[in-house]
Amino acid sequence: MVKIYSTPTCPYCEMTKEYFKEKGVNYEDYDVSVDDKAREEMIAKSQQMGVPVIDIDGKIIIGFNQPEIDKALGL
Amino acid sequence: MYDLIILGGGPAGAAAGVYAARKKIKTLLIAENFGGQAVIAAEIKNFIGFKSISGIEMAKRLEEHVRDQESIEIKNGRKATSITKQDNFFIVKTDKDETFETKAVLLTLGSSPKKLKVDGEEKFEGKGVFYCSTCDAPLMKNKIAAVVGGGNSGFYAVLDLLPYASKIYVLEYGDSFRADPVYIDQAKQSGKIEFITMAAIREIFGDNFVKGLKYQDRNSEEIKELKIEGIFVSIGYQANSDLVKNLAEINQNGKVIVDCKTQKTTCEGIWAAGDVSDVLYNQINIAIGDAIKAVLNIYQHLKSQS
Repeated sequence: MVKIYSTPTCPYCEMTKEYFKEKGVNYEDYDVSVDDKAREEMIAKSQQMGVPVIDIDGKIIIGFNQPEIDKALGL
Repeated sequence: MYDLIILGGGPAGAAAGVYAARKKIKTLLIAENFGGQAVIAAEIKNFIGFKSISGIEMAKRLEEHVRDQESIEIKNGRKATSITKQDNFFIVKTDKDETFETKAVLLTLGSSPKKLKVDGEEKFEGKGVFYCSTCDAPLMKNKIAAVVGGGNSGFYAVLDLLPYASKIYVLEYGDSFRADPVYIDQAKQSGKIEFITMAAIREIFGDNFVKGLKYQDRNSEEIKELKIEGIFVSIGYQANSDLVKNLAEINQNGKVIVDCKTQKTTCEGIWAAGDVSDVLYNQINIAIGDAIKAVLNIYQHLKSQS
């Protein structure tokens, strides 16, 4: 299960989502600018407030860190 | 041994990659990601050939163009951590414990948001201390935030925060705000801004997250405290010149000094282009042109060596 916590204006969030699409990865997108529950969840999981936060089967990655994402996805 | 290592994947690095491939220079490009600072621009209206393009779209096109060059090796998602000069080549190391050798280095690392360099800033980065308001302003929903810096970029942060934060303090070190009046008026009209001038930030504090900041009133010299949960630092940019600070001459603003005809630094074998250099104007189009100039000069240099 791949989740991304994002804001609509954040370019790195957009780049991450584009990357998932390119690699054919299904993901759930949570907009933390409007979804209060998701925002709390994101902060609890990552212990910080910067976006994007990516949750790949429980592995938490902060920011568009392509090598870390590849590793977690086994690409 | 590479002929050339390009450090950085912004407009300058990408342009250099394309030109190096056309000159068949054996090249490695090392970049954290593509696009550089321009990525966070919602709209770029002066990138020649495009009436309007978003920063992300531009970054994508830069990456595509470089990746289309089969002869260029690309290592992204990492950054160089050191450059060491040997007799007639350089050793470049990365944060992935890789070591590469090259005859020439082109530095196109751009610049990064300047830090306040106060206690708590590093500790709370991402935990209430932010440098990208476009990204992180929505996290301040119903919270009190502070913006440090009274120039245009500070006021962009204010405008990003307006729909979310319940109150915003704008702190400026000088005695007045330098932003364009149109932005200042827009901020004033919201009624949720408190403007503070002559403020020197002294400390950011909290527990797991930011709880407040301390600043010194430069008039009364009194230390004052603000209860805030987010601080957006917008005090300008710092050239990413650390890698060559012991090799090449850096000016007082931290930028790498280059010869403007060739982009050579004062260290033989190292060139620089774009915002990391002491170029007078920080523009995407100029960074691209300067990087190309550098590669053409590197090509001549390599030819004369062989």
